[in-house]
Amino acid sequence: MKLEIHDLGYTYPGADQPSVAGANLTLSAGEIVLLTGPTGCGKSTLLRAAAGLAGRHGQGTLAGEIRLCGRDPAEMAPAERVRRLGFVAQEPQDQLVASTVGDELAFAMESARQDPQAIAARLPDLLAQVGLQVELERATLALSGGQTQRLVCGAALAAGAEVLLLDEPLAQLDPLGAQTLMRRLRELADQGLAVLMVEHRLAATLPFVDRVILMQAGRIHSEGPTHQSGLNAEQERAALEMGLSVPGQAAPVPAPSASVGAQVLDPGTLQHRYWGAKRDALLPTEFPLHAGERVALLGPNGAGKSTLLGLLTGQLGPERPGVVGVPQDPDLCLFCSTVADEVAYGPVDQRVPDAEQRTQSAMQALSVDDLASRAPHALSRGQRLRVAVAAALSCAPRVLVLDEPTSGQDHDQVEHMMQALREALRDGALVFATHDVDLALRHATRVLLLEDGAVIAQGSPGELVERLLAMKGGR
Amino acid sequence: MDPRTRLGLLMFAGIAGLCLESPLSLGILCVLCTAPMLAAGISAIWLRRGLAAAAAIVWGTCLSQGLFYAEQPRVALFSLGPLTLWREGLTYGLAQSLRLLALSMAGLSMAVSTPPDRLLAALRALRVPSGLALMTSAALRFLPTVGQEILVVRRARAHRGRPVWKRTPWAWMMLEISLLRPVVARAWRRALTLAESLDARGFDPSAARSMRRPLQMKGLDWAALATIGSATAALATARILHLLYVGEVIWWPSLRPVYAFVRAWL
Repeated sequence: MKLEIHDLGYTYPGADQPSVAGANLTLSAGEIVLLTGPTGCGKSTLLRAAAGLAGRHGQGTLAGEIRLCGRDPAEMAPAERVRRLGFVAQEPQDQLVASTVGDELAFAMESARQDPQAIAARLPDLLAQVGLQVELERATLALSGGQTQRLVCGAALAAGAEVLLLDEPLAQLDPLGAQTLMRRLRELADQGLAVLMVEHRLAATLPFVDRVILMQAGRIHSEGPTHQSGLNAEQERAALEMGLSVPGQAAPVPAPSASVGAQVLDPGTLQHRYWGAKRDALLPTEFPLHAGERVALLGPNGAGKSTLLGLLTGQLGPERPGVVGVPQDPDLCLFCSTVADEVAYGPVDQRVPDAEQRTQSAMQALSVDDLASRAPHALSRGQRLRVAVAAALSCAPRVLVLDEPTSGQDHDQVEHMMQALREALRDGALVFATHDVDLALRHATRVLLLEDGAVIAQGSPGELVERLLAMKGGR
Repeated sequence: MDPRTRLGLLMFAGIAGLCLESPLSLGILCVLCTAPMLAAGISAIWLRRGLAAAAAIVWGTCLSQGLFYAEQPRVALFSLGPLTLWREGLTYGLAQSLRLLALSMAGLSMAVSTPPDRLLAALRALRVPSGLALMTSAALRFLPTVGQEILVVRRARAHRGRPVWKRTPWAWMMLEISLLRPVVARAWRRALTLAESLDARGFDPSAARSMRRPLQMKGLDWAALATIGSATAALATARILHLLYVGEVIWWPSLRPVYAFVRAWL
């Protein structure tokens, strides 16, 4: 057994209840175990505790026993531990410790005091293992989100880890990137690696995992092997009750083509080239928006989605009055001391007459009214995103721009937020970039497919599905 | 160039900045300290922002020193009611602002041209305490990220509220302070993640590490340190001798050319 956890519990400082309690799990060589559950159920805490990080870095109370390769990891020296265990947290950009890809991959091997020549010899293999096709001297800050995710996975494996713990490794990957990384993980597991991963994207992970552990309210709800690349019947029922997105349950129904209202924004021709780049990140694109439209931007990493959003929100070009953006990291637009102040900031600062009413309706629409007196930065990531969206909504924007609204949220939360926005933005337009094709099909009235900076197709979700099916049939 | 050489050059730039008082010499030092940063390549927008910030620093310092200079002798350039602009104050302000800019540019040149992990290795090799070395390199690593985040926060606020200048100075100041909250909160989260990431990669500040690319002082490094170090030592010696002369502590007639050089150029 590579990893054994007995009766593990963790209570954050000042909390009444433990975030994780009585968790038992085992992980054998060659298997991939998926740990999933609703947002805030304790998955990440369990993973950090299993990695020993909650005990070493947290101020909370840790209970239970962890055995890594038969030994207590707390008794291992860091140089030894890194040869047994690799850990990748969320937010891959924040985990980069070196300035070049080669140095990033070498870091753990240097900690393990491996021979410099052996380190140099292993680097190309590591790049291949995680499917990263970049030069070793490439700057880490120049990588895309997907490339960074693969890099930190490679860095965690570098010193020869036998157990790999991953927290939402697919969060920033497009469907193809996610499939590629999962396939690589499966290959590594087949060679003896033990993998425990936390992930919301069940459809992308289930075909590659051996077992699934469902968590709810800090406890392990159930555990069982996968069945024909899906959940077994009992777990499927439980997952649906928890509000998780279970693959194969219902094919996404494309949103009906909505009748669009008057034009709310005509940004003209959008085009952008980053400083020092040899080609345009976004080729000339016309992007008029109408009232009632919900436009989804789909495409692989680096296709130009964020560039298009940046041009709309004024990040990469002129300011456009009436356009309000919520960045991928909602923390960066929360600057008031309470949720109520945060949501009220826009209408109060703009001195609109119905400021209080707007604030209340935005808070109710995003279900953050019960958090009104809480400090925004003390909330969970999903709650912070909802507060940020409510704060944007209270400004009655003509166009609301969201970058990856599904990140860190479970299915039910995303559905609730999108439904609320659908109601609240009848006189405005919503533009959102996402990797979640189902979300785009369910909620968008128009979908733009981008690739290499160009819009390669656009239309209503129904039209796009028909075109894709026709292409599939033609082949 | 070895990062230890860069640290040495940064130290020499600091000493030279303290030794110089002439605006011309400080201007030349400023240009020399900025050159590595320009050579490393910065975008036009950041160049414009940098020049605007430099102009604001020079203008603000010159104006405040020009108005409030109290040393004698002083020559009035312009008077309006109770306000007088003093020539010596302007010169002093110019020197002070150029000194600040030169030292800032030297630090920024070091920051943009030295990868944080190489800096960490250099600091460890120079036996700087591990905690301090790690903090320094981590701060350097996230400097550009924090700069970007400040821009994102300001833009997010601008989307939701009135322009910052449409409020009282007090309200403006309070708003600016509140805008630091998300940046600090994000930096705190990032610091925790980085600390865990370093731990997960087996980093032990007190333990020895192997190095994929060992630090190596080459001939160019030694030549640069010897040349610029000697020049800095000569500047410092000349300045000290001149201070001893002005303070009537030591005066040697044979050093008249040195005193004249200090008065004219330093």
